[in-house]
Amino acid sequence: MTGPATLGTAARRGAETKTTMRSTYGRGRAKLQKGLVYGAAFLTFAVLLFLIGYILISGIPHLKSSLFALQYTSENVSMLPAMITTVEMTVLALLLAVPFGLFTAVYLNEYAARGSRLVRVIRITTETLSGIPSIVFGLFGMLFFVTRLHWGYSLLAGAMTLAIMILPLIMRTAEEALMAVPDSFREASFGLGAGRLRTVFRIVLPSAMPGILSGVILGIGRIVGETAALIFTAGTMAQIPGLLQSGRTLAIHMYVLSGEGLHMNEAYATAVVLLVVVLLMNTLSALVAKKLTKK
Amino acid sequence: MKKSVSLLLSGLLLCGALTGCGSSNDDSYGADGAQAEGGEAAAGVSGAITVISREDGSGTRGAFVELTGVEEKNDAGEKIDNTTADAEIANKTSVVLTSVAGNEKAIGYISLGALNDTVKALKVDGAEATPEHVKDGSYTLARPFNVATKGQPTGAAADFMAFIMSAEGQQIIEDEGYIKVNDAAESFKTDGSSGQIAVGGSSSVSPVMEKLAEAYRAANPNAKIELQESDSTSGMTGAMDGTFDIGMASRELKEEEAAALTGTAIAMDGIAVIVNPANTLEGLSIDQIKSIYIGDVTDWGDLA
Amino acid sequence: MKNFWEKLMHGVFFVCALASIFAVVMICIFLFANGIPAIREIGVLDFLTGTKWKPGNDIYGILPMIVGSIYITAGAILIGVPVGLLTAVFMAFYCPQRAYRLLKPCTELLAGIPSIVYGFFGMIVIVPAVREAAALFGADISGSSILSASILLGVMILPTVIGVAESALRAVPQNYYEGAVAMGATHERAVFSVMLPAAKSGVLASIVLGVGRAIGETMAVVMVAGNQPRLTGNVLKGIRTLTANIVQEMGYATGLHREALIATGCVLFVFILLINLTFSVLKRRKDA
Repeated sequence: MTGPATLGTAARRGAETKTTMRSTYGRGRAKLQKGLVYGAAFLTFAVLLFLIGYILISGIPHLKSSLFALQYTSENVSMLPAMITTVEMTVLALLLAVPFGLFTAVYLNEYAARGSRLVRVIRITTETLSGIPSIVFGLFGMLFFVTRLHWGYSLLAGAMTLAIMILPLIMRTAEEALMAVPDSFREASFGLGAGRLRTVFRIVLPSAMPGILSGVILGIGRIVGETAALIFTAGTMAQIPGLLQSGRTLAIHMYVLSGEGLHMNEAYATAVVLLVVVLLMNTLSALVAKKLTKK
Repeated sequence: MKKSVSLLLSGLLLCGALTGCGSSNDDSYGADGAQAEGGEAAAGVSGAITVISREDGSGTRGAFVELTGVEEKNDAGEKIDNTTADAEIANKTSVVLTSVAGNEKAIGYISLGALNDTVKALKVDGAEATPEHVKDGSYTLARPFNVATKGQPTGAAADFMAFIMSAEGQQIIEDEGYIKVNDAAESFKTDGSSGQIAVGGSSSVSPVMEKLAEAYRAANPNAKIELQESDSTSGMTGAMDGTFDIGMASRELKEEEAAALTGTAIAMDGIAVIVNPANTLEGLSIDQIKSIYIGDVTDWGDLA
Repeated sequence: MKNFWEKLMHGVFFVCALASIFAVVMICIFLFANGIPAIREIGVLDFLTGTKWKPGNDIYGILPMIVGSIYITAGAILIGVPVGLLTAVFMAFYCPQRAYRLLKPCTELLAGIPSIVYGFFGMIVIVPAVREAAALFGADISGSSILSASILLGVMILPTVIGVAESALRAVPQNYYEGAVAMGATHERAVFSVMLPAAKSGVLASIVLGVGRAIGETMAVVMVAGNQPRLTGNVLKGIRTLTANIVQEMGYATGLHREALIATGCVLFVFILLINLTFSVLKRRKDA
C-alpha cells in the first residue's frame, strides 16, 4: 500500500530537476494547483484531528473499569456486551458479504464478456444498491427479515441487512482492484498452461489483495458506525446475542445511551472505544494484507 | 441597526450571567420579582426565539401539546397539532438538551427526569418544575407514564406488573425522580413464575423501566426481561400486535389504543420547559408557552 | 476433473453476480408494494408537489423534503468533493511516505466514526459557529440550517471520496506519470493533466458514492438540519430531508402515514436511480 507513495516522491524529484528546462505550462497555475492540494490536505487533516481530539477529550476522562463489566446494568452501563456484539456482527456480515462481493467482481472482470447486457445490468444494480440510504435498508430489513421471515429483532437480521448494504462497496473496490491487475499477468499465467480458475486464485486475487482489503476495511467502517439500519433490525438489547437474539453494537449502544441525555459522558467514552476498535480492525486487516501479498 | 443593538444587549447579558456580578445581576433579580407575581415578564434575551419541539410520535410532544393547548380541536372536531412549522424538530431528548444548552435564544421541553444543569427549567404559571409541585398539582405540565398490555397480563408479565405497582417498585420510581402513583402500595411477593417478558416503547420511560427490571430480576431470577426502546406509539402498536408483552407510553393512551389495550399508569412525570442558562427569564404562563409554540410570538422581546 | 471445477466455479461466480440483482429486486418489491398504493391514494401530484406535511390531518406533501435533500446534498458535494479529491491527490502524489503511514489510517478512522458522533460534533461545533458567523452579518438565526448540515455532510463524505479517488489514482499505471514527466511536464501538470483524467472513472465513482452517502445520511443530519417540513430557499434556515422524515416518524406511524413514509423511501430510491443514470450517461459520453 505504501509502495506507490515512494514512487511518487522519487518521480517528483525527477520532475523538479526538469522544471528548469521546460515548458509552456503556466508557472502560476502549477503553483495554484500545488497550493490547492496542500490547502485541501491541510483542511482535511485539521478537521480530522479536531474531530478525533474532540472525541478523545470528551471521552477519555470518563473511561472507567466499570464500563467493561461483563454484565450490563443500568448502573454501570457496561459496553462490553456491545463490543462483543460489534465483533459478532462485523464478522457475520463480512462472512455474508465478502464472498458474494468478491465473486461478483471476479465474474464481471474475469469471466463475463465485457459490455454484455448482464454486466451492464449488474453494474447498474450495484450502483443503485450503493446509493440506497441505510435507513431504507433498515426499512427493508424490518419488512423482510424481521417481519416476513419472522426472525424478529436479531443479530442475523441485522447482519443480513448490513451485508446487503456493504455488498456494493466490497464489489466495487474489488472490481477496481482486479482491473488494476495488468493483463500481462493473466496472459503469462495462461501461457504457462494454467486454467482460468487457477489464474484467478493464484495470480489475480493475490495481486489485487490490497485493493480488496481496502474495500473490506471501508465495509468494516460502515458496519461499526451504522445505526439507522440496525435499530430497525437488530434491536437495542444490551446482551451478548445468539444468532436469533437481539443485540446492540457499540454505535447503537452510544445512540441509546445518548438518547435521554442521562449518560452523555459514558456515550463519549463509548465513542473512544469505538475509535480504538476501528483502529484495531484496520491495523489487523493491514497486517493480513501484508501477509497475503508477501505470499 | 436594531438587530445589532439587540445582539450587543444579549452579549452583555450573557457576560452578566457568566460573571454573575454587579449591576446586571441586580437587574435580573428585579425581573424575577416581577415574574413571580404575574407570571409574565420581558425575557432576558431578545431576538428571534428558536423553538425546539419533538417529533410527532413522541409521548413528550403528545402530552406537551395537549397540556398547553397547542393541540386544539377544529370545527370538525378533529384534533389539530398547531405547532409552528418553523419549530426545529429534535428526535431525542439529548438533542433538545444540547440545542438549548448551546443557543441562548432557544426554548424546548423535556422530561423532568432528564433535566440537568446545562439548561434552566422555567416556572410555569408561577410553579417551579419539581416532583413535589407535580405531585401537589401546582405544576400543571405533567403526564403519566403508562404501561399497556393486551388484555390481562399472565405469568411472568403479571408478576412484573405487580412488582411495578408494589411498594418496592413505586419506591424505585420515586428514587429516580418521578412521582409515584400509589403511596399506599403493599410490599411485593413474587409468585416465582418464569418466562420471557418483552417490554418496549417510550424512550422516556425506558430508564426507569430498566431500573425496575433489574430490581425485579433480583426478586425473581426465573423471569427474563427484554427491554427494547423506541417511542410511545410504537410501544403501543407493539403491544397490540403482540411484539411486546408490555408496551410503554409516556402519555395518555389514544382512543384506539385504549380500546385494544389495558393501560396502567405506573408513574407521573413532569415536562420541564427549558431555556439557556443565559436567559434571565424565570417563568412563563401556559398561554405564553402556547403562543410561542404556535408561532404567534416569535421574538423574546414580544413576550412582555 | 479440472474442467468440472472450472465449470462449477464459473457457475458459482455467476450466481454470486446475480445476488446484487436479487437484492435490488427484493428491495424494489418490498418498497414499491408498500409505497405505491399510498402514493395513489394521496395522489401523485399532491404527494410530490404538496408543500404541507401534516400526517395528523392526512396531508402528505413531500416537496419540502425533496428540496431539502437536494439542497443539503448539493451543498455537501460542493464542500466535500473538491476538498476530498484534492486530498486524494495529495495522498497519492504529494504525501511523504512517513506522513502517509500516519495519515492513511486517520482517514480510514474517519469512516468508522458513527454518524451520531458527527451529529453531536455538528451540534456543538458547527451549529454555533454558523450562528455566530451569521450574526456578524446581522442575521438572527438558530444555526440549525441547510448550511450547517451541508458542512457536516461535506466532512462526512470525505473518507469515502478520498478512499475511492485515491485508489483510482493509484491504479493509473505509473508509466503515464513517467511519460508525462519525461516529456517535460511539471509534477503538477503530470498529476492534473494526465493522472487525474486517466482516473476519471474512479473519480466519478467516488463522487457517486459521496452523493449516495450524503443523500442517505440520516442520524447526523437529523441533529443539525432543524427538520422543519416547510419550503425554503434560504440556506441559513432549517429544512427537513427525506431521510429525516422517515427516521423521525417511521417508529410510530401507522396506516396511511406509514405507507406515506415508505413512499418517501420510494422517492428517495427513484432519486438515487436518477443520479446513477445521469452519472452513467455522463461517463459513457466521456468514454466515447
